Amino acid sequence: MDRQLIISIGREFGSGGHIIAEALAKRFDLPLYDHNLLEHIAEEKNVDHEYLRKYEEKPKLKFFTKKVKGHTNSFSEHIFRMQFEYLQKKGDAGESFVVVGRCSEAMLSHNPNLVSVFVLGDTPCKIKRVKEVYGLKTDEEAHKMRIKKDMERKLYHNSHCKGKWGDSRNYHISINSSKLGIEKTVDLLEDYIREYISKN
Amino acid sequence: MLVAQVFSVMIFVVMFLVIISEKVERHIVTLLSAALMLIVVFGLCMHSFTAINEVLNLGSFAKLNFWYQSGQAHEESSGINWATIVFIMGMMVMVEGMGESGFFRWLCLGIAKLVKYRATSILITFMIMSLVLAMFIDSITVILFLAAVTLELAKLLKFNPVPLIMAEIFCANLGGSATMCGDPPNIIIGTSLGYSFFDFIMNTGFIALVSAIFVIVYYYICFRKPLKESEKSRGKAVYPQPSEAIKSKGEFLASTFIFLAAVVLLVTHAQTGLTVAAIGVIVTIATLIFAGKKSIMLIKKIDYKTLLFFIGLFVVVGGLEQTKILELLADLIVSICGDNKFLIVGIIIWASGIASALVDNIPFAATMIPVISSLSATTGIDLGTLSWSLAMGTDVGGSATPIGASANVVGISAAAQEGHFIGWGKYCKYAIPATFIVLVISTAIIYVRYL
Repeated sequence: MDRQLIISIGREFGSGGHIIAEALAKRFDLPLYDHNLLEHIAEEKNVDHEYLRKYEEKPKLKFFTKKVKGHTNSFSEHIFRMQFEYLQKKGDAGESFVVVGRCSEAMLSHNPNLVSVFVLGDTPCKIKRVKEVYGLKTDEEAHKMRIKKDMERKLYHNSHCKGKWGDSRNYHISINSSKLGIEKTVDLLEDYIREYISKN
Repeated sequence: MLVAQVFSVMIFVVMFLVIISEKVERHIVTLLSAALMLIVVFGLCMHSFTAINEVLNLGSFAKLNFWYQSGQAHEESSGINWATIVFIMGMMVMVEGMGESGFFRWLCLGIAKLVKYRATSILITFMIMSLVLAMFIDSITVILFLAAVTLELAKLLKFNPVPLIMAEIFCANLGGSATMCGDPPNIIIGTSLGYSFFDFIMNTGFIALVSAIFVIVYYYICFRKPLKESEKSRGKAVYPQPSEAIKSKGEFLASTFIFLAAVVLLVTHAQTGLTVAAIGVIVTIATLIFAGKKSIMLIKKIDYKTLLFFIGLFVVVGGLEQTKILELLADLIVSICGDNKFLIVGIIIWASGIASALVDNIPFAATMIPVISSLSATTGIDLGTLSWSLAMGTDVGGSATPIGASANVVGISAAAQEGHFIGWGKYCKYAIPATFIVLVISTAIIYVRYL
């Protein structure tokens, strides 16, 4: 691809957002940044990435953190800044990529080559997917896990960004993956992105 | 008066909660609270322009004793403590000039070279350096420079920088307690109650020195094993040379001279009669003259937000003082403790320590000054004894938790930027016992020496 393309995928837990991101990365032949983003950062900092992962996409604990002249003891904030700087560097260097979550739609909103997507889903479909992917026995377990993860993502996002997590006004397109299924959703998004590129 | 008291307490409590919430910048919070205190409490409730005048304290600039005090004058002042503001501003300019010249980096690298880059020796010497520098310079600056060099050396020498940074943070807070200019609560106590630099050195300085011996041994015992291991496995490295840190020889010599002159002026200010406000102005002028073209940049770098925060805070606390609320608090302490001097002093040290571990120690100290003045008047306990108790409690208590003092947050943040996280568990595991040791030593010395 001649011009830069950055696809940001925000997602509800269990909506299949990650699989959709993988599929789009394949179709546009782009590298995918998800958990591996921290692996790259850890390599640069010469620390264990598992150590950094503990604090990834975790909300800031308000009463346990403090800010002094731009410095903070919040690790969630530091992880956010590290990822922001990393993505910013890639974006500014003109690289194309697909990135999952990590407030990327807000971090890279200034980039004219960004297409931001939010994937949501119907609750029964999300519970079914979470049960399958994580090998859970009951719907109740899957439902609890889904609620917890979505709450963490929401708190993390909203504590770092002005726009609210999942608010359709902050994304180019919001799509319910349960309505068409994963494959058709990917097709639709691919068409949308190609159309968007050709017109901008 | 009752309505004024209710409003002053409400303004203070809301201000405190909004500062803690960090929703609005703290200088805006204190300035708005100060405006409310002036309009609602002094204007509408008390109809007292005298109280407004006393709290704004603008006349202090015109008084000779603001700049020069002959003899051992112990004059208490209330309202905006302009001496504190002028002194802090002077130190900000001086420290900015020193940072620009490469002084701190040169010092850190020089000491690391002197101890042949051995991790355990770096631990001990950096703790001492943090302690000594924080006696004269604000602990945030000390930690910013020390942590940066510690992280750089840790990368080269392949040791974990976290133990060193934790120990440096603790020593910076402890060093700050030793002198009048080391920590904002001490500056406020000293300038409000009329104590000299020498008074602090002889009292809190002595306690800090004894505590430092125990603290250095404590941290050495805690961290010697992993650091010694790293010494064995370290390979060859190209070490940064101290001389590389100096950006301009002229600026470096000038800033070193100004720093040493400031130390001499502070140590001898009881003899020379120069007040801390006068020293602040001298230091500012000297730094700006030597900085030449860079002087505009140094002025721009003054942390006006912190100065405005102090101004607003002094007005709010002045409001509590004028409405006699703090006297009520002092009476409450007396009604609980009776005339038991040991209990009162113990409560001042430990309550200040625990409170400072959780909330900002600057508003706490500013609030407690009128309380200890009142306590001294009603119980007959020497005001100095209560002042040293308050200083040690507020200065050292902040070391116990990651959010207790600004230096802690800055040190933890510097480590985190390089991927080294110091969580509450890890931090408190080492800092709480160390804080406990220092508070026990402080209590013991104050009991034996003064009561």
